[in-house]
Amino acid sequence: MGFWQGYIQNWDYWWPQLAVATGNTIALTGLSYLFALTLGIILALGRLSRIRFVPGICRAYIEFVRGIPALALLFLIYFGLVPLGIIVDSFSAAVIGLGMNQGAYLAEVFRGGIEALHKGQREAALAVGMTPAKAYRFIIMPQAVRIVLPPLLNMLIILLKDSSVCSLISTPELMLRAKDLASMSFLPMHAYLLAGLIYFLMACPLSLMTRRVEQRLRRGMRRITA
Amino acid sequence: MLEILPFDPQQALKFLLILLKGAVMTVQITAGSLVVAIVLGLVMATIKTSRVRIARLAVDIYIEIFRDVPALTLLFILYFGLAYLGVKIEPAPAAIVGLGAIGGAILTEVFRSGFEALHFGQREAALAVGMTPMMAMRYIIFPQAIRIVLPPVGNYAIGLLKDTAIVSAIAAPEIMFWARNLVTSTFETTLVYVLAAALYFCMSFPLAQVVNKLEEKRRSWQ
Repeated sequence: MGFWQGYIQNWDYWWPQLAVATGNTIALTGLSYLFALTLGIILALGRLSRIRFVPGICRAYIEFVRGIPALALLFLIYFGLVPLGIIVDSFSAAVIGLGMNQGAYLAEVFRGGIEALHKGQREAALAVGMTPAKAYRFIIMPQAVRIVLPPLLNMLIILLKDSSVCSLISTPELMLRAKDLASMSFLPMHAYLLAGLIYFLMACPLSLMTRRVEQRLRRGMRRITA
Repeated sequence: MLEILPFDPQQALKFLLILLKGAVMTVQITAGSLVVAIVLGLVMATIKTSRVRIARLAVDIYIEIFRDVPALTLLFILYFGLAYLGVKIEPAPAAIVGLGAIGGAILTEVFRSGFEALHFGQREAALAVGMTPMMAMRYIIFPQAIRIVLPPVGNYAIGLLKDTAIVSAIAAPEIMFWARNLVTSTFETTLVYVLAAALYFCMSFPLAQVVNKLEEKRRSWQ
């Protein structure tokens, strides 16, 4: 019972701080996800465009960012830009860093989704008399969503977990708060286990939902191909 | 010296040599965690195909937990948390155990779908033409399974290589650790972190190309 004592004694002091930090983690995850989605779509369209140099530049960005750890990117943005006179606060740096990192992965997801659809589909839809908007709404979108949705949800889970890394550039999120509480109370096991539990409680519903969606969509796909 | 360059090349070389020392540790930690993850993954995938219901459930719970908890949190529990309970682990072994435990959850799914992709009729057919179970495994199952499983395992290994960067937070002396050390002693933040990023890129990009080749090969073979 000695172990629980640590939680009981510190609870009143810990929980308001952890609640705020969890809110920050959610905000950080949400904002960087939005940024990553936008960047991902732009990069995917860029890679498929026919304008000279644009596909090459997008590809170089994607390959470079996917080749380095998120942490290295965060350090580059937060510490590495300071000598060049660019000073970003740690929360913005975290949003930009995580967004730039995930954007590169999402670009490949979107590209895969677009390319998986044979362009004959659109032509066929137009041939039977659909307007381009209708073809998009009834033919392209429903299929593209099936391909893209599961990886998009998976990416959100990964982003939520990766946001913990931002504690290393002292972004005021859950992991940083846990670290503070651990060193102040000398109860590292208590603080980190609790942080792990909070992450689990956030990620588990998401990952169960992702698997549900995956199964649903697989059923739908089979019906299409059959 | 060379005024065109925005940095001192001699200093850059000195930094690079120190970071390379970290790169050796990065590779060691990656390799160690990969081995742990593969062993765990194989064991748990085998359990998941077994008929013992409780064992299957236990594996599912394990996978769910390690999918949903950040690697950094797990590393802190293993390194700082266990130290508090009197169990002292060195940073590098803690990193290998932590990253390997997470990898095991990922690879279990990979191996299981690999097993399932092979129709069990294959094994039956092999036994029917008179192969021993060992021969069926060696000549029929294994060559096909390895082709299915190799690209996702390769992708996992590349992800792992980059994930080892966070191990610097528990002071395992790999690339990011030395980079942070160099920064505190020289204040050359831009140069050091650009070099560190470049070093990661030089390791992961060629690997990614190899995995892409494997994936293409697999697609044409299907």
